[in-house]
Amino acid sequence: MSRDGWGLVLLAAILAALPLVAATAYVLTLLNVIGLYVIVTVGLILLGCSGQVSLGQAAFYGLGAYASALLSRDLGWSPGLTIPAATLLVAAGAYLVGLPTLRLAEHFFVLATLAVGIIVNVLMVQMVPLTGGASGLRDIPPLQLGGLRFTSDLHYYYLIWALALLALAVARNITSHRTGRALRAILGSEVGAAALGVEVARYRMQVFVLSAAYAAVAGAVYAHYIRFISPSPFSLYASLFFLIMAVVGGLTNIWGGLFGAVAVTLLDQVVRAQLPRVFPRVGGEYQTAIYGILLVVIMIFFPSGIVRGTLDLRRALVRVPHRIGTARARSPDRRPGLGDSPRPADGGTP
Amino acid sequence: MVSLLPQLILTGLTVGSIYALVALGFVLIYNVTGILNFAQGEFSMLGALLCATLLGWHLSLPLAALVAVAAVCLIGAAMERLTIEPAFGSHPLTLIIITFGVSMAFRGLSLMIWGADPYTLPEFTPGPALQLLGGVLVRQAMWAIGLSIAVVLGLFLFFSRSVPGAAVRACADNAFACRLLGISPRRMSLVAFTLSAGLGAVAGIVIAPITGATYDMGLSLGLKGFVAAVIGGLTNAPAAVVGGYLVGLIESLTTGYLTPGYSGAITFLVLLLVLVIQREGLLHAAQRRQA
Repeated sequence: MSRDGWGLVLLAAILAALPLVAATAYVLTLLNVIGLYVIVTVGLILLGCSGQVSLGQAAFYGLGAYASALLSRDLGWSPGLTIPAATLLVAAGAYLVGLPTLRLAEHFFVLATLAVGIIVNVLMVQMVPLTGGASGLRDIPPLQLGGLRFTSDLHYYYLIWALALLALAVARNITSHRTGRALRAILGSEVGAAALGVEVARYRMQVFVLSAAYAAVAGAVYAHYIRFISPSPFSLYASLFFLIMAVVGGLTNIWGGLFGAVAVTLLDQVVRAQLPRVFPRVGGEYQTAIYGILLVVIMIFFPSGIVRGTLDLRRALVRVPHRIGTARARSPDRRPGLGDSPRPADGGTP
Repeated sequence: MVSLLPQLILTGLTVGSIYALVALGFVLIYNVTGILNFAQGEFSMLGALLCATLLGWHLSLPLAALVAVAAVCLIGAAMERLTIEPAFGSHPLTLIIITFGVSMAFRGLSLMIWGADPYTLPEFTPGPALQLLGGVLVRQAMWAIGLSIAVVLGLFLFFSRSVPGAAVRACADNAFACRLLGISPRRMSLVAFTLSAGLGAVAGIVIAPITGATYDMGLSLGLKGFVAAVIGGLTNAPAAVVGGYLVGLIESLTTGYLTPGYSGAITFLVLLLVLVIQREGLLHAAQRRQA
C-alpha cells in the first residue's frame, strides 16, 4: 500500500478511537462539523487541482441540504434515499452551470460561481412557499438506514467521518492516477495540456461536477443531522470560509483539505470565544478582519498551503544555494501556477 | 395611478452613477495589473465613514471630503504595497484571493472602529427635491450624476493628454515593452490602486447622504460596480460607465416592478448572462463588431 493509503488507514483508526477518549457533546458536534467541512474543502481542492476556484461552493452545499430536506420532509422519501438523490440533483445542476461557464478564463469562472452563489442564496430567502424563507425549514426527519436510526451525535460522527474518509480516498485516487496527471498538466499549462491530447474541457467539467457533488453530500447530511436549515449558513460568507480552509490547506493538495478544515474550524472556535473579551463593544462579524488578514498572509507567504509552505521554507533554509535547476525551480517564461510562490524576478511576461 | 416609470428611471440613474464610479476603479486596476480588485467597494465604505468621522471633528464638508479622499488614496497605495506588490507575478487567482482577503479585513476592521450603526452625511447642497419628468430627484442625486460624468471626463483627459496617463495606458497595453522603455509596471500598479481608491472614496462620499454609510456597504456596492465593469468589458472605461447606469436602471426597474427581494439576484443573473454570452462584455463585443 502506498504512503497515502497507510495515512488513510491510520487516520481511520484514530477517528474510530477518538470518541472513546473524548465523547462530550461539544467535542462530537465540533468533530462532526469539521468532518462536513473536510468533505466540502476536499471538493474545492479537487477543483483547485484543475486550476479553478469556486466562490459558489456554499450554494451547492446549501442546495444539497435543501433538496434532501424537501424530498424527505415534503415527499416522505427516506433520507437514506434523499441524500444520494439530492447529490445527483446538485451534480446535474452543476453540470448545467458548468456547460457555459467552464469555457471562461479562470477569473471569469470565479465570478460566475460567485454570481451563482448569490442567486441561489437569494432564491433560498425569497421562495418562501418552498424553502420557508429566512426562517428556514424545521422538522427535517433524521437519517434511517434499515433498522438503524441516526439520532445521536455519535451516530453522525461515524457516518460523517466515513464519508469524509471516502471523499479523501476518492480524491487521492483521482489525483494520483491518469486524471491527476491530466489535471497537473492543465494546471501547468492549459494550452500545453491540450496540445498533448488532454481534453481540458472534459476534465474540468468532471472535476467541477464532482466538487459540487462533494459539497451536496455534506449539505444533505448536515440537513438531517441538524434537522433545521435556513439560508444564512449557505451565504457568500460560507463560500469564503470554505475558500479559506482550502487556501490554508493548499489549493492543490488533497491532504490540505483535512488540515485546512480542522485548523480553520478550531481557529474559528478560539476567535469566537476570545475576541469578545478583547473587543466587548462590537458584535457580529468582527472575525472577518482576522480571516481577511489570514487569507492575505497565506496567499503571499504560503501560496501552497501552510504545511507544504512551511516544509518548503525549512528545506530552503537548510540548503539554500543548491536547489537551482531542480523540478521546483521555475524558468522565467513559465506562468506561475495556482499554489506556486510568487516569482522572484520582475513579472509582466511579454 | 401615477406612473412609476419616471421615478424608477431617475433612481436608477442616481445609483447607476455611483456604480459607474466603482466600475471605473475596477477597470483602471484591471487594465494596468490584470487583477480583479474585490476590495474596490470597501474604498467607498472607508471614504464615507472617514468623511463622517471628520465631520464629527467639526471640519467643513468640502474639507472633510477632500481629506477623506486623500486618506483613502493612501490606504489604496498602502494596500498595493503591502499585499499586491509582495505577490507580484503570482497566478491571477492568487491575487484575486488576496483582494478578497483585503476586503474582508477592511470590513472587519471598520466594524471594530465604527461599529455597526449607520452614519449619515449631510447633502452637499441641502434644499427641496427637484420635480423632473414626473419624478422626484433629490439634489444629492444631481451631485452623484454630475460628479460621475466629471470624473469620467477628468480620467479621459488624464489618460489621453498627460504623460503619466500615457504611461499607465502603455503599461496596460504591453508591460514588457514598458519595462524596456523605463516605465515600471510596479509603479503603475501603485498609481492605479491609488487612483482607484480615490474614485471609490468619491463614490462612497457622494452616495452616503442618500443611503447612509455603514461598515458593510462596500460589499454590495463593490459587487454591483463589478457587474457594471464586466458588462462594459472590464477594459473599457466609457463602456464601464454605461454598464454602471445599466445596472442601476435594471436594479431600480426590477425593484419597482418585481418583488424587491429578487432584485439582488437579477443583477447577478445579468452578470451570468453577460459572462456566458460574451465574456469580453456586451458593449465591448458590439464595438468590436463595428470595427
